[in-house]
Amino acid sequence: MSELHTSNKAQWWKSADVKKTAILWVILTPIIGYVGTVVQLRSIGAPASEVMASVKSLMGIFTWAAAPVAGLVAALAVTALLGDRHYGDNPPEEADHEIRNSPRAAATWVIVSTLLCLFALITGLIVLQKDAKSLLDAKAININVTGQQWVWNFDYPESDGVRSEVLYLPVNKPVVFHITSKDVKHSFWVVQMGIKMDANPGYVTETAVTPDKIGVFDIRCAELCGLLHAYMQNKVHVVSQADYDSWLKTRAALEGAA
Amino acid sequence: MTTMMNRPASAPGDASGRKPLIERLNIVTALVVGTVSAIVIWQLALHFLPQDAETASFFNREDKISLMSLIAWFVGFMTGIGALIGPFRWAFGKDLNHDENMFLAGKDQGIKRYFRYTTDHKVVGIQYLVITIIILFVGGTLAMLIRTNLGHPQGGWIHPQAYNAIVGWHGIIMIVATIIMITGPFGNFIMPIMIGARDMAFPRLNALSFWLIVAAIPPVFISFFTGGITTGWSAYNPLASQAGLGMNGYIAFICIFAISTMVAGANITTTVVKMRAKGMTWNRTPIFIYGVVASVALALPAFPVFFLSQIMSAMDRAFATSFYNSAAGGSGWLYENLFWIMGHPEVYVILIPSVAALMEMAPVFTRRPLFSFNLAIMGIAGISGLSVLVWAHHMYISGWAPLLNAPFMLTTELISIPTGMLFLVLIGTLWRGRLWMTMPLMSIFALLWNFMIGGITGIYLSDVPADAFLHGSMYVTAHFHYTLMGAGLTGALASLVYWFPKMTGRMFDKTLSWVSFWLVQIGFNVAFIGMFLVGLAGQPRRVESYASIFNKGNLITTMGAYTIMAGMLVLLHGVISSWRNGVKAPMNPWQAKTLEWTVANPVPLENFETLPVITSDPYGYGKAQS
Amino acid sequence: MSVETHSHSNPHHEHPDVVGSRNRLGVILILVADIAMALSVLFVFFYLKGQNVNDMWLPAATPDSPAVLALSSKGTWYVTALAGLGAAAHFYGLKGVRAANRTQLVLGGGVALVFSLAALIYQFMQISSAPFTTTSGAYASCYYLIAALNTLHLVLTVFIAFGNWNRSRLGIYVADHWHVDIVNVWWIWMTVSSLLGAFALSFA
Repeated sequence: MSELHTSNKAQWWKSADVKKTAILWVILTPIIGYVGTVVQLRSIGAPASEVMASVKSLMGIFTWAAAPVAGLVAALAVTALLGDRHYGDNPPEEADHEIRNSPRAAATWVIVSTLLCLFALITGLIVLQKDAKSLLDAKAININVTGQQWVWNFDYPESDGVRSEVLYLPVNKPVVFHITSKDVKHSFWVVQMGIKMDANPGYVTETAVTPDKIGVFDIRCAELCGLLHAYMQNKVHVVSQADYDSWLKTRAALEGAA
Repeated sequence: MTTMMNRPASAPGDASGRKPLIERLNIVTALVVGTVSAIVIWQLALHFLPQDAETASFFNREDKISLMSLIAWFVGFMTGIGALIGPFRWAFGKDLNHDENMFLAGKDQGIKRYFRYTTDHKVVGIQYLVITIIILFVGGTLAMLIRTNLGHPQGGWIHPQAYNAIVGWHGIIMIVATIIMITGPFGNFIMPIMIGARDMAFPRLNALSFWLIVAAIPPVFISFFTGGITTGWSAYNPLASQAGLGMNGYIAFICIFAISTMVAGANITTTVVKMRAKGMTWNRTPIFIYGVVASVALALPAFPVFFLSQIMSAMDRAFATSFYNSAAGGSGWLYENLFWIMGHPEVYVILIPSVAALMEMAPVFTRRPLFSFNLAIMGIAGISGLSVLVWAHHMYISGWAPLLNAPFMLTTELISIPTGMLFLVLIGTLWRGRLWMTMPLMSIFALLWNFMIGGITGIYLSDVPADAFLHGSMYVTAHFHYTLMGAGLTGALASLVYWFPKMTGRMFDKTLSWVSFWLVQIGFNVAFIGMFLVGLAGQPRRVESYASIFNKGNLITTMGAYTIMAGMLVLLHGVISSWRNGVKAPMNPWQAKTLEWTVANPVPLENFETLPVITSDPYGYGKAQS
Repeated sequence: MSVETHSHSNPHHEHPDVVGSRNRLGVILILVADIAMALSVLFVFFYLKGQNVNDMWLPAATPDSPAVLALSSKGTWYVTALAGLGAAAHFYGLKGVRAANRTQLVLGGGVALVFSLAALIYQFMQISSAPFTTTSGAYASCYYLIAALNTLHLVLTVFIAFGNWNRSRLGIYVADHWHVDIVNVWWIWMTVSSLLGAFALSFA
């Protein structure tokens, strides 16, 4: 027995099922990576800020990092399923081995998953640091966001108390949102810009973004806030600096008239 | 039933011919006493409780009345079922004697014992099985209402108020159903036999844990007609303090359920620690036992926190305290912290026993030993340990402590390491096995597939920047359905088919198990991959209508959901028809090596006439090459 | 699983030590749950105090109502002291039954029962004499929560102490006294949980 055992050990990669698994692994990994990335990233749509672009690239990186693991599990499962199958009401004979352990396989598995875990952590932390810095931008426009059942209000304290239910932002200018709520918890989500921050009654929270595309994007409430939660949506208009200035002027005039 | 002793000639009962109290109590007396107390307290409160002052800023009278009625229902029901007999007999020094204990164990009572405060763990197991099926059926019906409403864009046919109530109701009762679906039926019926014990450590607490769940259900059902749980299952405050009287039903439900979990957790853990058969050392204890113990032991410190959060919620509603009311010094973040300190261990409470059950089945259906028992234990222990340190990943974007996001990201991602160990154990056991193609075996493959998707999407969600996009979207909903349903429920359905012969004495219809398996699994993947896609495209959770760009994804999800429903109905039909007239099961139909297959069908009252002594672990399949 | 069977003596008469240690573990596990809840109460107290949302931990005076002032924590320490004395009395009784001295057991249990009742009554008096209402800000809310939890514990303690004393009186604890040991565990937790509450309230 020991002789067979050692010979098995020395040449374990030569057995047919290991080869089959290896081939399947090589085939399945790129398929999983490709499908996972393409399907997900296509659903997300075009980013309207650097934050969103980095979310997309993070998800792509994670998918590709996970693909070999998923591919390996899939390859092993398919090999098992294509192997020794038995049907009927009585169990097949017991297997011709009693492998109870494989310290080498276990150690490899744990080490690789730890490394992947650290990789995911570090990648995430790098982006997190970058996002956190943008909150401190002194040149940023400050906008106060107030959620209430079931509308958003936007105040421009630096522009003569302009207040609006539709958000206007100049393109390529950093913005810091100061978010709070009047009643229950809401969540301020600018979908295509990849930012989200809860609006809590009694607190002010902050998030920052620099829109880099002109266009109309979606704001949705992402926290169940009562009866009309589904309809608590707004638009954000990202416009050129000139358009933004003239919009502010019109709004300020309206406020003054009122 | 050969081991049962004959009833002594002097049957319990006093001279007047009236049956003693413990023989007269059953579910009918419980319902009557519970309902009558609730109505009496309700009417008394209605007449005597002072009106709220007109100048008061809060109106709490209705909440007080409704909470008092619910408490009265609870106390009345538990009194009526006989839960208080034990403690009071103890206090007055009249301990239950042997005959009374045998009566409570359900000796010679046929079908009636299922409707009493019966202490036999097998009766409790069957009771749990039936109640789990009922709750899953109701929760599934609610899911179908949700999906039907969402199959049609722009304003479904359900009023938003009712829709929100259905979402909350579906959420909370499915959470409860999935928490009890393994540790309830199989943890009670199978586990004591598997470790070679005659019953649980505390049989009366066992009955208590079950009847508490029965007492908890009417409040949550009635809540639907008194305003509903319009807050989602998480019942975030202050939204919950704003909601109608239905929230009181939720509060009562959670508090009673938390007590039930605590009682069951202490009972099951003690049973396993103290009552394993002679020779069943920890490395000969089946892995399913580890899963069950990890699950209930994890619930032990977790659910009291949930209990407390709901007590505070009730105080906010009834007495206008300010735990969550920011205008008076309260904090919504406090609720979120308490809720998720319970909420994250809770998902592993659901998941671990399912994976452990499939690990138990894997050697049986591959006819080879379990691969790396030690790694399986390390995986379960690692997940349990880390799960209490990850709660704030639900609060990355709540803004409560941005500096803590990085540490919580670390702990969350570390959980993928022990989870990976569980994968390796399962996949290693499939490797070079002789696969016996049955529904439980295929469930292992299904679990690997679903849990892989659930796990990888979990890594995106654990990442703070990606979560800032994904949080609160349908992506999250799809992710946790993949873990709790795709992995959790799959394991529970496999357990049902696997242990059905021992619990009912009949085989589960093979064809029906296959049909249901494929319908559920295919429908599940269609439904929730569709949900991932709409989530990525930006559809928030818990919405009653949505923008037209989400039409296609939602339609796919709804079609998948209907397929799941078909599969679950086939399964329900299988349960009923196989239970009534399935093929009689032999003692050990799967040729498995754990102890529960060494006792006869039906299992005699105290399981073993002579207690077994264990000399090896139950995974000795396979022949050594010699 | 390889199984050998061997005959066992009557299963219904397990050794009291076996039953006792099982029950002890069960009670300790239930206490784990209770401890988790008590620690959460401390978390609630210190979290709300630390956040002091809208400066409403202890609201300042308004035209309608005077400022809310934190109570002296003395009262809660008295409750703790009563619980501690009860625990000591129970332990005295336990030492009695260990030395097969039934009089000491009944005496200790009886005194413990009296202390538990005294603590309960004192706790009630404290709650009813609090100079604020449930609507007086976060501190008041926490005060009522801690007091309510302690009251609940004391009600349970009275029941347990009564049962323990009554059973001692009836002479049930002669040969095996593991019930008395377990009640001692409960008394210790009663004292500690009361102490935790008093500790928190000392930091108002």
